[in-house]
Amino acid sequence: MSCIKPSYYQNGGYKLTTSTTDTSTDVDKFVSWARNGSLWPLSFGLACCSIEMMHVSMPRYDQDRLGIIFRASPRQADVMIVAGTVTNKMASAVRQCYDQMPDPKWVISMGSCANSGGYYHHSYNVVRGVDRILPVDIYVPDCPPTSEALLYGMFQLQKKIRRTKVTRMWYRK
Amino acid sequence: MSTITRTLRNLRRAGLKDALHQMQHIGDTKAGTLIATDRYGNKYFENLQDELPLRTRWVDYKDYEYDASQIEPGWHAWISYMVDKPPTEDPILKTGVRPWELPEHRQNMTQTRGAFKTYSTVKPKISAWAPQTAERA
Repeated sequence: MSCIKPSYYQNGGYKLTTSTTDTSTDVDKFVSWARNGSLWPLSFGLACCSIEMMHVSMPRYDQDRLGIIFRASPRQADVMIVAGTVTNKMASAVRQCYDQMPDPKWVISMGSCANSGGYYHHSYNVVRGVDRILPVDIYVPDCPPTSEALLYGMFQLQKKIRRTKVTRMWYRK
Repeated sequence: MSTITRTLRNLRRAGLKDALHQMQHIGDTKAGTLIATDRYGNKYFENLQDELPLRTRWVDYKDYEYDASQIEPGWHAWISYMVDKPPTEDPILKTGVRPWELPEHRQNMTQTRGAFKTYSTVKPKISAWAPQTAERA
């Protein structure tokens, strides 16, 4: 018996031939290792989801062991966790914080409200999904998502970073 | 928290080869009894005496690029402390694969070509409002 697995695990889905590609793959591995090792989130807690986000930083899940440390300033952050309902009044502040983050930056949308508006989808003052104002990388479903779910979302983002072809795409251009 | 004495004690118990493997995969040295290996090849361990609560059961994944969804449902229940006995000893899980179950365990296919995607040919369930303004008198 086997576990059905996606096929991208081998060489990022590309057949490597030239030495340049080999070298840039190694460089990419190093870059993704460095990025994954210290994924500093900007905690954008807006509602009850942020309680679950706080649990991730607490001893039971202990995100510090993974190098994930909450930063209070967007200028020091790599990834923005939008946890909770984004209202129209808050939308400009969310966007401003995102613009202040240095590149490369990622966004995790946490919970139904941030994903699509969720429970407040038909409200007159709620942004129907944070992806209307930010490019979202990872959507974590549920209302609210458990801390395990958020941590799993962080691992999915790390997987996405690992698959990003930084120097390979730069070389191709 | 891992201390040097703990790391060295577990290194002595687990042996050099296993300890190096653990440092590469888990990032910690752990010594325990091997409960079983699942169908895919993940190894499940337990040590109820020396480990802290909620760290007494752990998995050594077969793949280096592991994913939590590679754990089968029965083993997920065991490693999350939902059941006391591992699925190899649990009478409920002795029934085997029931007709409505998938014959093989499937890991989370998100971010891959196997990810779920709706057909674009389905008619959208909602339509935008096209306002009709009446002619002013």
